[in-house]
Amino acid sequence: MSTKTESLERSTSLTRIRLRNFTAFSDFSLDLSPGINVLVGKNGVGKTHLMKVCYAACEVARTGNDFAEKLISVFLPRGRILGRLVRRQRGRESGFAEVYRGDRRLRTRFATNSRRADAARTDGLSAWQGEPMDAVYIPVKEVLSNAPGFRSLYASREIHFDETYLDLLDRAFLPILRGPMDPIRKRLLPRLRETMGGTVTSSNEQFYLRNRQGNLEFSLLAEGHRKIGLLWLLIQNGTLRKGSVLFWDEPETNLNPTLFGEVIETILELQRVGVQVFLTTHDYVVLKELDLRRKTGDALVFHSLFHNGENREVQCNTVDDYSQIHPNSIAEAFDDLYYRSIRDLADPPA
Amino acid sequence: MKAVDFVVELPDCYRYIEVKSPGRGLDPTASAEEYLTRLASGKVDLPLIRKYRDSFLYEWAAGRAEKPVDYLVLIGLDRIDRAHLVRRRDALETGLPIRLPTGVPWTRSIGRHCGVFDIASWNLTYPQYRVERVPEPPR
Repeated sequence: MSTKTESLERSTSLTRIRLRNFTAFSDFSLDLSPGINVLVGKNGVGKTHLMKVCYAACEVARTGNDFAEKLISVFLPRGRILGRLVRRQRGRESGFAEVYRGDRRLRTRFATNSRRADAARTDGLSAWQGEPMDAVYIPVKEVLSNAPGFRSLYASREIHFDETYLDLLDRAFLPILRGPMDPIRKRLLPRLRETMGGTVTSSNEQFYLRNRQGNLEFSLLAEGHRKIGLLWLLIQNGTLRKGSVLFWDEPETNLNPTLFGEVIETILELQRVGVQVFLTTHDYVVLKELDLRRKTGDALVFHSLFHNGENREVQCNTVDDYSQIHPNSIAEAFDDLYYRSIRDLADPPA
Repeated sequence: MKAVDFVVELPDCYRYIEVKSPGRGLDPTASAEEYLTRLASGKVDLPLIRKYRDSFLYEWAAGRAEKPVDYLVLIGLDRIDRAHLVRRRDALETGLPIRLPTGVPWTRSIGRHCGVFDIASWNLTYPQYRVERVPEPPR
């Protein structure tokens, strides 16, 4: 392991996740990179679930709140019943979610009949909260353009948005960090500003792109540029800095592939300054951009999740080389496309 | 004039076949890796298009253009990223052009299909014409 990787591991990054009878997982364990963790696999293998468990654990370290309660808030099981997060099978079962940061372990265990968070048994909380960590979760659906009134609505009404949306808005509204600008902000902010054609400002809970023409509401902005704007905000206000964790669910959504390079370069740069990154993707170009733009010393692994056997247990192969990803459902889709494209050239059967 | 490597006549069509052997023999490309870079960037498209067009013109003048023509490009490497092969096929079909361009008074196409293959996909598509790379003889 490189010196760079070791130094990152010594900081606050997540090192391992274990799940037993939790949502799609029956018995699952995954070692995590202190750099970039790319989660690939078909729909329904649990990529987003993995990220949400890790994110909830990070939030517990920051806020001191209850782990099981945060899991309920980010997963939103029906009726907010905790037991519905136990893997569905016959009879009463119990399950747990466990996350590690080096030798610190946070675990919450609960059963199918656990209705509320206080029915769960959580271990390792005090040591876990001894070292707070910042994390941000960017869900698939864009939320910044819907910011006006969202937070007050969320506080007063039961609306079916999981808490990652609220948390993200809270982070986005944070004012700029005090003190001199650190190297990462100096390097990344001008590039992102150039890509989206301005900077981001907010007023009365509404975000605007500010440039020479004035202020343009985020709701009028192309969704791809809103994503760049969100990155700009999170870097500018210091949410994404050394020791923080970024979770990004399908960054490619609504983004033109010509912007992928800029987004991936930013992710790689964040990793280089000590941000731990988790991202899921279904996109070939995202994977290839990561593969082509990575440099020697970058900590980057691909976790390929898949269902195995009759019981369809979720398992994972982890590799650090794009060409070794197996199974690679994205490449398989290209194979299928390719063979259909040359089908007309084959000789007819004799 | 440039020319493809083989023109094969079948009962219902012609096949123009161009074989690239990156890093081998008289091929000007220095290495397989370099060729793959040119392939990914689309720099191989124009030479391939020119070879087809010149061959087509030659065959037409010789009175051998009465059947549809398929253009097969075999790149002599074991396996190439499928995304590149799909992209290059699209580029050839657009560049030749295979499909009749809008607003041009053409009544017939200059080709029917294009396909770009590596050794694996060639052998799967044409099991009766299998190919393999053999060691280069000493000079």
